Amino acid sequence: MALLETRGLTKEFGGLTALDGVDIAVEEGELVSLIGPNGAGKSTLINTITGQLSPTAGDVTYAGTDLVGMKPFEIAQLGVGRSFQTASILPELTVRENIQVASFAAEHGSFRVNFLRRRDSFDAVQEQTNEILETIDLDSKADMDAQSLPYGDKRRLEVAIGLATDPDLLFMDEPTAGMSPTETEMTVDLIGDLLTDWGMTIFLVEHDMDIVFDVSDRIFTLHQGQLIARGTPEEIREHPAVREAYLGGGDGA
Amino acid sequence: MSMDTIRNSFDGDSSVLSWETWNQIKHTERFVFLSSVLFVLLFSYTFGRAPVISDVFQGYHGLAMTILIWSIFALGFNLLLGQTGLLSFGHAMFFGTASYAAALFAIHVYNEPLLVVLVGTLAAVTLGVVAALILLRLHTVYFSIVALAIAQFLYFLAREPLVEVTKGINGLDIPRAPLLGLVELEHEYSGLVGTLLVNNLYIFIGAFFVAVVALITRIRKSPYGLIFKAIRENETRTAFVGLDVWRYKFAAFILSAAIVGLAGGLMAVNTQFAGVERLYWSVSGDIVVMTVLGGLGTLAGPVIGTFVFFYFKGIVNGFPTLGNYWLLLLALSFTAVVWAYPDGIWGMLTDFTAALRDPKELLSNARQRISDLVSTGGDR
Repeated sequence: MALLETRGLTKEFGGLTALDGVDIAVEEGELVSLIGPNGAGKSTLINTITGQLSPTAGDVTYAGTDLVGMKPFEIAQLGVGRSFQTASILPELTVRENIQVASFAAEHGSFRVNFLRRRDSFDAVQEQTNEILETIDLDSKADMDAQSLPYGDKRRLEVAIGLATDPDLLFMDEPTAGMSPTETEMTVDLIGDLLTDWGMTIFLVEHDMDIVFDVSDRIFTLHQGQLIARGTPEEIREHPAVREAYLGGGDGA
Repeated sequence: MSMDTIRNSFDGDSSVLSWETWNQIKHTERFVFLSSVLFVLLFSYTFGRAPVISDVFQGYHGLAMTILIWSIFALGFNLLLGQTGLLSFGHAMFFGTASYAAALFAIHVYNEPLLVVLVGTLAAVTLGVVAALILLRLHTVYFSIVALAIAQFLYFLAREPLVEVTKGINGLDIPRAPLLGLVELEHEYSGLVGTLLVNNLYIFIGAFFVAVVALITRIRKSPYGLIFKAIRENETRTAFVGLDVWRYKFAAFILSAAIVGLAGGLMAVNTQFAGVERLYWSVSGDIVVMTVLGGLGTLAGPVIGTFVFFYFKGIVNGFPTLGNYWLLLLALSFTAVVWAYPDGIWGMLTDFTAALRDPKELLSNARQRISDLVSTGGDR
């Protein structure tokens, strides 16, 4: 059985159909990418799966659990992590604290009564935070305010927060947007590590087609709310509907 | 330690070394605890009786106790506004309700100050649970305004329909009772203790002040302190890492209500009185002013803000001519401070002390600040 599965997922905003009967299945341990032109419904699909929006019709199941009607924090606790498109960090907290918040959620669950215990007495949380800081190569900037980080570092911190929730399935919404070539390369390497070393399943939304074709096991193509193609990178590259709707659009992005 | 390291630590920049040590010390719980004890020991004396200094303040012992209690109120309020980012315009509801509950318990059940304060606190917690269930469904300005509406509802309820219980605008008088049936609160000391602390009532209130400072310091250092700040910064993000934002907000609300309730109970014991004016909307407004003026989200800020507020209210008020305009003067100072220093008086002080270590930075900071104000029109 697939790790994540949607069946007939539909989302309407007033008269507009943003998602129109989307069926996708993601297997454990694979990296799938979602592509599609602007306004195709990519963000709506992620938001509907992760609980920010509730679908008009259809099902979402994760590891056999029905996600429809669950709150975002409950879905996150099941092991579905998310990094946001715009760096959605906690600006006035330090880099370390940003990651620590997520580590507490991963180690302690959604709520715990522990306001009389010091944070630094929770060793597992501190360890996990340090591990993430090292993985994402932000340990030298751990005590800086998140808001004073350069743009590329903010994006990496965004991914780090997603990682610190210790997910089995991680949604990454355009993780390389606005990054320099070096940073992009680092992020692509990181994605590879997450798959092989961490055993994560990754759901990537990405505009950079080179990255998508390079790293994906399978690709879903969304167009006007409908899934018009799915398959391996080679299949998608050759798919006539995709070429027409998307790749054939001129600049390839 | 080898001679080299010793030499390095002296040859290096010895002033940097000491500042670093200081930075570490000042955030420890022990330091905060000792500071609050020292503050309580010296506050009434410097404020009311010390040679020269007290003449400048023109304060007195009774006002020192009022300031300590309102500081507890402001610290509790700050936990919600400064730490968690929830602006309640109705915190008078906890102060007033706790005061009434304390007084009613003292009059009708049993009059023992410690128990009376506890009952006041529990009443505020109970009210907090009900209010939170209503308020936490609301966001931003709706949260603030409905909080105000609940407090005003309780004000009118206490004033007219419940006049049999609350004695309406006359309020309730509480006889003075000994602590644990043994210790007279109004017993005055002589000698050094008398000079510093005057009487048992001050020690009673001061002990609660120290306890609340210690509790809040601990909460700030606990996972809650971090998660409250995360909610303040970005609620959506906090939910998406897997935290139940509603429950943490509920916890912040109840902790805040409990601390404010403690202040309300203490106020009843201190003044031997509980009245309807403690539920009035202006109390909710005053506490916002005190907290923001002193410095949101900090520990010392609310205490400083409370002090400045009462200094204007109790002392500038008495100045010839100028005294009639104390509220205007307070408003002007408030605007000036918050315009230039959004982090309040405490933010202003920490800016200064940080800059004093590095005068060059002081200059560049000042330039930066002025250019910021000019370019944004102070809109921050």
